[in-house]
Amino acid sequence: MRQIDTVIIGGGPAGLSAAVRLWEKGIRDILILEREHQLGGILRQCIHDGFGLTRFGETLSGPEYAQRFISQVEALGIPYVTDTTVIDITEDKKVTAASRNGMLEIQAKTVILTMGCRERTRGAISIPGERPAGVYTAGVAQSYINLQNKMVGREVVILGSGDIGMIMARRLTLEGAHVQAVFEVQPYASGLPRNILQCLDDYGIPLYLSHTVTEIRGKDRLESVVVSQVDDRLQPVKGTEKEYFCDTLILSVGLIPENELSLSAGVVLDERTKGAVVDEHHQTSVPGIFAAGNVLQVHDLVDFVSMEAEELADSVAAFLKEGELRSCSLAVKTDGNVTHTIPQRISGTKDFKLSLRVRRPMKDCRIRLLQGGQLVGERIMKKAIPAEMIQIPVKAAKLNEKEDLEVKVIC
Amino acid sequence: MKEYDVLIIGAGVVGCAVARELSRYCLRIGVAEKELDVACGNSSRNTGMLHAGFTYKPGSLKAECAVEGNQEFDRVAEELNIPFKRTGKLVVGFTDHDRENILKFKAIGEQNGVRGMRMVTKEEMKEIDEHAGGEFAMYVPSSGILDPMQYTIALAENAAMNGAEFLLGRRVTGIRREGERYLAETDKETISSRWVINCAGMYAPEISEMLGYPKYPTKGFKGEYFVLDKKAGKFLGIPVYPAPNDKGGFMTHATPTVDGNVLVGPDSYITEGREDYAVTKEHMDGLIEDGKKMFDHMDRSYFIRNFAGIRWKRYDPETGEILDFLLEADDAHPCTVNLVGIESPGITCALPLARRAVKKLAEKEELKPREDFDPRRPGIRRFSEMTREERTEAVKADPDYGEIVCRCETVTRAEIRQAIHNPLGVCTVTGIKNRTRATMGRCQGGYCETRITRMIEEELGIAPEEVRYSKEGGYLFTGKVRDVE
Amino acid sequence: MLKNFTCIMCPRGCSITAEVDGTRMVSAEGNFCPKGLEYVYQELTNPMRNIASSVLVEGGELPLASVRLSSPIPKDRIFDVMEEIKKVKLKAPVAMGQTVISDVLGLGCDVIATKNVGRA
Repeated sequence: MRQIDTVIIGGGPAGLSAAVRLWEKGIRDILILEREHQLGGILRQCIHDGFGLTRFGETLSGPEYAQRFISQVEALGIPYVTDTTVIDITEDKKVTAASRNGMLEIQAKTVILTMGCRERTRGAISIPGERPAGVYTAGVAQSYINLQNKMVGREVVILGSGDIGMIMARRLTLEGAHVQAVFEVQPYASGLPRNILQCLDDYGIPLYLSHTVTEIRGKDRLESVVVSQVDDRLQPVKGTEKEYFCDTLILSVGLIPENELSLSAGVVLDERTKGAVVDEHHQTSVPGIFAAGNVLQVHDLVDFVSMEAEELADSVAAFLKEGELRSCSLAVKTDGNVTHTIPQRISGTKDFKLSLRVRRPMKDCRIRLLQGGQLVGERIMKKAIPAEMIQIPVKAAKLNEKEDLEVKVIC
Repeated sequence: MKEYDVLIIGAGVVGCAVARELSRYCLRIGVAEKELDVACGNSSRNTGMLHAGFTYKPGSLKAECAVEGNQEFDRVAEELNIPFKRTGKLVVGFTDHDRENILKFKAIGEQNGVRGMRMVTKEEMKEIDEHAGGEFAMYVPSSGILDPMQYTIALAENAAMNGAEFLLGRRVTGIRREGERYLAETDKETISSRWVINCAGMYAPEISEMLGYPKYPTKGFKGEYFVLDKKAGKFLGIPVYPAPNDKGGFMTHATPTVDGNVLVGPDSYITEGREDYAVTKEHMDGLIEDGKKMFDHMDRSYFIRNFAGIRWKRYDPETGEILDFLLEADDAHPCTVNLVGIESPGITCALPLARRAVKKLAEKEELKPREDFDPRRPGIRRFSEMTREERTEAVKADPDYGEIVCRCETVTRAEIRQAIHNPLGVCTVTGIKNRTRATMGRCQGGYCETRITRMIEEELGIAPEEVRYSKEGGYLFTGKVRDVE
Repeated sequence: MLKNFTCIMCPRGCSITAEVDGTRMVSAEGNFCPKGLEYVYQELTNPMRNIASSVLVEGGELPLASVRLSSPIPKDRIFDVMEEIKKVKLKAPVAMGQTVISDVLGLGCDVIATKNVGRA
């Protein structure tokens, strides 16, 4: 069986960033496995601009952002194979993949999980009604329109104010469709404020908060949707139903890290993120298996995906050199205002960046990081919104090696 | 005009079983179906149980066919190469009243000829399935699970391999007799046939009337289901049902599927709409609540999708009594077989009913067996079911087997390609899905649907606008984004 | 009068409240950086946007090449530019960065390809 130091599962932004950084660190026995015909991952279909401002200091489209890394991978000669789907990873890091050239089996020393995420579907949120054609998740519609040159509909309603949903509202409008409205079940938008402005407001598309689709109608193709207001328990309010006649419903109701392979490798997942539980090295519960990017936690910006993967690469390089990494026995605990953190475990001996999201929009709040009541980090925010991933650097100098880290938000 | 010896109306499980059993003889067989695929109605909208037959009235056609169909199914599944597991079933009880009801049905089952039923203690139950709740149970070893969609497709494909023709997308709107033949009007063409067999399921009363039989009244008992992720499947090894109520009905229950998912449902309520398959918030909420009582992993994070089915039961309009399956043929309506009120356990009973329908023909004319009849349907070889060595060989022989199209269910391009070129000529997206399981996993096509639609276009040489999701008006694309003349 | 703005210069998306007199900004607060002030000024005088779309490719491994504008255009010209984009047909190969329409409608910016599309 072929032996390789590092196998990277997925050639999207996280996998590519990790590969380039590993190479720069002197790790050369790498293989990127990508299931698509081309590298780049989901960025290939994200043709809108707004990527790269943090990482490159300029604003790029998705394909351009990806190409920066692809060009580096090509120029450095980092080995990769495309059209190859990993179908199994074992706990002892044996990776099995299928391709037209045959079945591939590799014994890896380290595995980097960068499979990205998938979209939540109609079934996952149990929308009542019939099952006509014309109900698409935003990413599927985006793929049809931007990669396959196929138009999905003319009269459109969008459920969910995720960024992709709003971006598709603009995209569909530019291509001549009529987007009637975007409905969001929560009392706040789930996507970024700039997208509400430049994708919805600019085109006169209304955003209705605290509303959801309560029935899908149409036997063959979608004919209409019924929309209701919801109360503060997110339950539809009787008597508020309104029917919107449309041929297309786009769902942008959340992303879920794609961790089926992680599970096959015995990686422990976090119920909150649906991604792996990792320590400050981005190492999962299985030593030598690491995770970064949207497979770990759903990010708001690809720039942070790259940066997270680059930090991961540093740890992988250290693991390969030293055979193991410092164990992390301290937990990161959160209060009810925070949905989750990455990492979930730390050692108290290393600088790291804590990523988190707040559960609801908050104004003038302080996010405090405490160890045994001692303040070890803090971020003061004029406004904090769930759409935004918050990152707080923590210095080892301030930490002890005995007590768990507590994250508290004071509002 | 298309001319047949026998025209079967309806390509549900019963129509396809009749087609398959008739294709053993030298007959020109046509099957008219209003939808673009087989099993679009209630044949696929059920739990997928191979019933043992212990709840049906002794001496009834239901009881007779269920027991017969159950006992032969290992051979049927093998011939048609469909997934089937004889899991057995536990009917669990908590109270003395439950025990009484269970024992009542055990006695009925024994009278019907159901083999091997026995009462088991709590300890024995745990040995059979560690997750089963309840104080005691009846163990029914002959119950099994199958995929009703795959089964119906297999019956139809086997019939087609043996010469039957499937006329999809033809809704029969009227039937008249001309000389020795019937002329069936459809929305597309007129079909001529010597015999007509009514297998129209929920529309059987309407076809019955067209043939000159009464328009037997039927009542629709609708039930909704949740489909749960395979991750929940590991908690349920065999179907565990609560004790039946006094009428022999089962409340909401959890059933494993042959693919490893879990079905929770159905509930039961009356509907008027023949094709009222919409799922409702009220009933989904009810299922979540009731489902939790029977299956402690009824959790939102496992929900993949919902569906509904309707059992159209024939009843006596005067007494309201639910009536048995009806299979009739009389001289007042020459060369017809009329099947009405076929509902649960229709999957289990399909082949026995088909043989009884064939017998009605054989009573009137001599049927000559086809020498080249082949009861076996090979089906599509599934990558996910292959061993490591088989996979290596398969990819070597056909590189399409190395290209994974559906990640969640591990379905390859080779399987999708074979499904697109299926013997029935079905080319809808749901048709491909039902033949391969692509799009049926947790991402519900998020990754593979775009690839499948492109393959349909490429393999069949059709334009994007011509691709159909599942129904004739169910287009997926309104055209191209860019098309410069 | 007070007006609220959502800055789109970066993903931070600052909420800016500005005291406005016609098209003149008197004062503003809520911006994290000076770009916010620039943005408010521009919104008041001549709102500018970039757009992304696709053009048809003949003989390519993909049917479309994605495009964007080299710099933003006045918001009210978006649909005029879309009409121009819709008329384009390129021949593969297409190189990222390639000018697809130069100085589109005399607006002083180019439509550029943002993706490599090789020959089929």
